[in-house]
Amino acid sequence: MSSDREKIRVLLAQFPLESHSRGAFTVANMLRDSGMEVVYIGNSLPEQIVSSAVQENVDVVGISTLCGGELALGEKVMKLALEKGIKDSAVFVMGGIFPPEDEPKLKEMGFEALFTPGATREDIANTINDCIGKKRGAKV
Amino acid sequence: MGDKSTKEILESVLDEKRKEGNSLYNPKALEVIQQSFEKWKNTVVSEKDRENWEMTPHTIIGSSIPRGLIYTPLDIADLDYEVDLGYSEGEPYTRGIHSNMYRGQTWTQRQLSGAGSPEYVNNRIKFLLDHGATGTNLALDLATVQMFDSDEPEADGMVATVGVPIDCVQDFESIYKDIPIDKVSSSIVTHYPRNTSIIFPMYLVMAEKRGYGWDKLPGSVQNDFIMENVVRSACEWIPPKDDFRVQCDNIEFLRNEVPKWNYVTLNGYNLREEGTSGVTEMAVALANGIAIMDDMLRRGYDPDWTAKRMAFFWAPANDFFEEVARIRAARRLWYRIMKHKYQAKDPRSCWMRCHVQTSGISLQRVEPFVNIVRAAYHALAAILGGAQSLHVDGYDEAYSVPGEESSLLGLRTQQLINAETQVTQVVDPLGGSFYVEALTDDIERRILDEIDEVEKLGGLPEAVAKGWLHHKVISYLLEEERMIEDGRIKVVARNYFRDPNVKEPPVVTQPYDSKIRDQMVDKLKKWRKERDNDKVKGCLEDIVRAGKEGKNITYYTVEAARAGATEGEMRRAFTESFGTWRPPVYA
Repeated sequence: MSSDREKIRVLLAQFPLESHSRGAFTVANMLRDSGMEVVYIGNSLPEQIVSSAVQENVDVVGISTLCGGELALGEKVMKLALEKGIKDSAVFVMGGIFPPEDEPKLKEMGFEALFTPGATREDIANTINDCIGKKRGAKV
Repeated sequence: MGDKSTKEILESVLDEKRKEGNSLYNPKALEVIQQSFEKWKNTVVSEKDRENWEMTPHTIIGSSIPRGLIYTPLDIADLDYEVDLGYSEGEPYTRGIHSNMYRGQTWTQRQLSGAGSPEYVNNRIKFLLDHGATGTNLALDLATVQMFDSDEPEADGMVATVGVPIDCVQDFESIYKDIPIDKVSSSIVTHYPRNTSIIFPMYLVMAEKRGYGWDKLPGSVQNDFIMENVVRSACEWIPPKDDFRVQCDNIEFLRNEVPKWNYVTLNGYNLREEGTSGVTEMAVALANGIAIMDDMLRRGYDPDWTAKRMAFFWAPANDFFEEVARIRAARRLWYRIMKHKYQAKDPRSCWMRCHVQTSGISLQRVEPFVNIVRAAYHALAAILGGAQSLHVDGYDEAYSVPGEESSLLGLRTQQLINAETQVTQVVDPLGGSFYVEALTDDIERRILDEIDEVEKLGGLPEAVAKGWLHHKVISYLLEEERMIEDGRIKVVARNYFRDPNVKEPPVVTQPYDSKIRDQMVDKLKKWRKERDNDKVKGCLEDIVRAGKEGKNITYYTVEAARAGATEGEMRRAFTESFGTWRPPVYA
């Protein structure tokens, strides 16, 4: 993550077999409206998500999930992120539909923010900004 | 027919009919009403209300159709009872397709059978049938929808989420064990043509193994190419024109070999839920119906033979009267298309028969019990509109796949409308309302205008390939999001009277069970070991060849299913045959 860059760069993806894209499209647009740069890679394996995040040098990795897989695949993403050295530099967030009891587990894994249906543009942008602020602060 | 557009054909026929001068209201009465109306409007109605006479309701996935303050005969001045309404089971079918509607037979109460292993889903189907469901409705898991075998790396974490996993014939045997599939109709939600061509033959092989003739089987598949190319997010697509061709291959195969089966359920539902209006939902489905009729004519089939088993699938949402009017409008318009464009002779071929599922995207995460009320209104609108089959969404949609409790509540909602409200005792109870008739006319016109737009782009497969629909959906859903944010769309408890201290109530969700994937993988290994692998290889090569040579591909997928080919193997054969395609819009 480059902290001197003006625009926040966000990678948006879904797990390989996710069939919904409405949420990802909506959030991509919200983030662009809030002045962020969005790289949308669509349906991807955890390996592809992490390698794209490295390649695109993003500040944030966002995953949209509605049909399950958040625990199994979320864990894989975080494991790979650790291996590739971006777990501590990039902010990982997830949005979509998942059971409330999965939320603490996802947080534990390292997903710093979780967005559920009804989250507003303001919620999402502010939360991401806060998370980035905390990360950058921690590094100084 | 010639080069005339559907709109031109219908307009010229209706102009002729209206010339006969059988409109319901005589000109003299209308003149009197016009005078009294003006007087009332200018003396009784306040200036402010006069200024805001027309308001446009904005709702989630609504059509934003302007409404007046009050409706009178003046809004339907040229209504011709015989031409525009008629009787139930009579042309133009505005009032319904059966003379006695729900007095004769209640709609099919078809709740989705949930998510889990084939054995679990078999139990859920039996549970729903034991509690009065009258049909089955099989949701597939994500791996199956996307055509991956349970043991492929992409399927990790996705087996048995949102539905049931199916890799090969043995899974269908488990799902439908002990279920009389010749008596209880099966809706199998194979979303798009490739998925249908791969999965449905496995059902047929299961049926023949159990000794059922294919001609005895009642049910439906979805088989709509819009689902592959526009609605579905995926890693891989085949080109829209090829997918449309597979859609028609399935239709030709099913019509010939499984005559009681509804070969296509033109799926407005998922398109609308992705983000579009009720008008576009119906225009696209009807335009697909037109494209199918044209393609089947080209293949040499009579329109009456083709059309008999066409079915539609709609998403009733929040704007109550729009929903009622929409179903009536689509029924009349489909009749007019079949009758005047295709000269259908059999009444059945002119029926717009529909399954409806209450809108999921309209349901909210915040205060989820409010969703019970929302879904009940959606369902009521569908029944007042004259639907044939219904699924009521679970209140917990924004949390997970409906659990047993919310699934049962959906069924109870249906039973309540059917047995307690008494709305079922009278056919088309809202027919004749000045408002509902004016709205029905307005919506029919709007649907026909959008069909015309599609035809000007060269028909639906061409319009999709060009990205017309993708762009429409994206701009619709972004505008909708803005309207929720700025409060033009009111959503109770979310942006309208939101409780700042709201807490999430306990919602029982189904935890993901990774053991199901392990079991599926074990079964699959055994299956692959026991089948004749050379034969399977030959069948897969035949699929590739049939695709390239323009033969009906579904006859070949049936052979492959019989030989024991799996879903993932057949997917790869399709991709090899047709190549891949990327949607024109990628955010």
